[in-house]
Amino acid sequence: MHFAIPKWAAPVLGVSLVTLALGAMAAEPIKVGLSGPFTGGSSPMGLSMRDGVRLATDEINKAGGVLGRKIQLIERDDEAKNERGVQVAQELINREKVVADVGFINTGVALAAQRFYEEAKIPVINNVATGSLITKQFLPPDYKDNYIFRTSANDGIQSHMIVEEAITKRHFKKVAILADSTNYGQLGREDLEKALAAKGIKPVAVEKFNIKDTDMTAQLLRAKEAGAQAILTYGIGPELAQIANGMAKLGWKVPMIGSWTLSMANFIDNAGANSNGARMPQTFIQEPNTPKRKAFIDAYLKAYHPANGRIPSPVSAAQGYDSMYLLAAAIKQAGSTNGPAIRAALENLKQPVDGVVTNYNKPYSHDNHEAITANIPVMGEVKDGHVVYAYEEDRKNPFHTK
Amino acid sequence: MDILMQLLMSGIALGMIYAVIAFGYQSTFATSGTLNFGQGEALMLGAMVGLSINGDVLGGPYTNYWLMIPLVLLFGALQGVVVEFIAVRPAIKSKSEFGWIMSTIALGIIFRNVAENIWGRDDMPFPSPLPTAPIHILDANVLPMELMVVVGALLMMLLVELFNRRSIYGKAVVATSSDRDAAGLMGINTGLVITFSYALSSMSAAFAGVLIAPITLTGASMGAVLGLKAFAVAIIGGLTSGLGVIVGGILLGIAETTTGFYLSTGYKDVPGLVLLLLVLAIKPSGLFGKTTIKKV
Repeated sequence: MHFAIPKWAAPVLGVSLVTLALGAMAAEPIKVGLSGPFTGGSSPMGLSMRDGVRLATDEINKAGGVLGRKIQLIERDDEAKNERGVQVAQELINREKVVADVGFINTGVALAAQRFYEEAKIPVINNVATGSLITKQFLPPDYKDNYIFRTSANDGIQSHMIVEEAITKRHFKKVAILADSTNYGQLGREDLEKALAAKGIKPVAVEKFNIKDTDMTAQLLRAKEAGAQAILTYGIGPELAQIANGMAKLGWKVPMIGSWTLSMANFIDNAGANSNGARMPQTFIQEPNTPKRKAFIDAYLKAYHPANGRIPSPVSAAQGYDSMYLLAAAIKQAGSTNGPAIRAALENLKQPVDGVVTNYNKPYSHDNHEAITANIPVMGEVKDGHVVYAYEEDRKNPFHTK
Repeated sequence: MDILMQLLMSGIALGMIYAVIAFGYQSTFATSGTLNFGQGEALMLGAMVGLSINGDVLGGPYTNYWLMIPLVLLFGALQGVVVEFIAVRPAIKSKSEFGWIMSTIALGIIFRNVAENIWGRDDMPFPSPLPTAPIHILDANVLPMELMVVVGALLMMLLVELFNRRSIYGKAVVATSSDRDAAGLMGINTGLVITFSYALSSMSAAFAGVLIAPITLTGASMGAVLGLKAFAVAIIGGLTSGLGVIVGGILLGIAETTTGFYLSTGYKDVPGLVLLLLVLAIKPSGLFGKTTIKKV
């Protein structure tokens, strides 16, 4: 049999094959892991974070991607469980071959799973988890390079701000600590006690509660009998709501000051009017007071239509969004998707990244992997179902940089 | 405000929540010797369906709180029939000793996953039909809703008791409880009675759900811890005694609040569990339960 190919066809075929191949190469996406709890009690934070990361990724891809390639998110649910987090890390590293990972809401999961990224030399940006230990797990001299970065305000910063607010600004002498029995609550309680000790103050009561506890009478009565003038909290939304509701039931109203979780929608909704006045450190408050923040809020609302125009966890969404831009900037600067090269670029970012939370100008160095410094977060306050600035001067001057 | 009084009042309110859930364990145990380990999920489904009718989560509110209750009761009864049909009947038919344990647990997990997919995974507030400001009783603050839990629970148990004693259908239930084989020989359709007891059990759980939801928050995972504590109450009080679950519930509730205050909030669940162990060691049929001798 004989195929007659016209003479002109050969070069045309050849060229188009080459273009196809090039096209395929250019389209080969950069795989980035996105892990967090998308089910279970921490999911409001996990889902807001995921949506923030997706938003940033879409914008980056629409603008042409990085290194001429699109970013492809490989999303995995760690269910806020340590063992599941470990499986997810191994799957993302070994099967999906991601070049980096963003995510982690729960300190326990991060501490359990990060080891695998460190060993594989794949950078991780923690965008919500706050445990102080997270960025200090793999320090020299035991480990030459640390691959763990963070874009959230760690518990050291938060507990310091909480104590500063209660003792220095509002002059309370007697405070009680109410913390949940998880890793998050108990590590936070330690940080709070340390920060109080630095001011020469011992809490009049230190109480514990469990996830899903429905009655807080005993804890609150102990705090009340000890003469507490304020309650410092470390817990998550639903139980914090039960504390606020429990106070209303006892007819005892003292200020609640606590970690950033007091801004969670499931605290504010479930406590209703009882949530008014609660204060917490915030890296981001849903108010369009810079052009970048306005664009971010508008884009988020347009893409995801959250109920009542309110992002379920604005802090998680903003920190997730920024983490993706930082990663993209590092990949671009590194000129490759090689793990050590991305890490080196993150540690020495030449171009500032204009983020929602802050303007990241050299956010990391080889020995400091915390993008958020103590001056960046502001005090937020719950007011009629929304988180607003607690202080007028913060509202006027909301943008701080490292 | 008197501290002890407040602790007792809060303990009683909490205990009645446990009791009203524990009541559901009893009715099926009496007739069939089986339990629905998905009781916590039946409670959760009742609360979620109630919230969908009464709240704005699925485009509502469609009716007010009081009109919603009969609808939720109906839903609960149907749900109980489904549980009995799928999980319990095959086990009873094959005379399996433990098959129903695994199948009711499995069904409970399925219900929770379905609820997560329909209503999401977050805890939601349930609109309170009564004022939320506390009222002052005997030197303690009590929420109107807590009073309603107590009244509602007692009312429900009373109605069931009346039904059992006064109506011919109730007598069939009582007969099946005392001796299933003899009742069958007397012409009572014991299979139907067991189905009915499951309907009643899930109905009471669904009722408990809408009763406690304004106090406890509503979400797909609300039933897990409550269902377990109620099970402890049913064991403490005795699986055959209506009075037992009330006393057991109040005991556990007060143990939790007083230990939390006088000892440490870190240990507040311990005395209840110690009580459970003591009861199992000394009087395994529960404080008020009838001792049954298993003939082999």
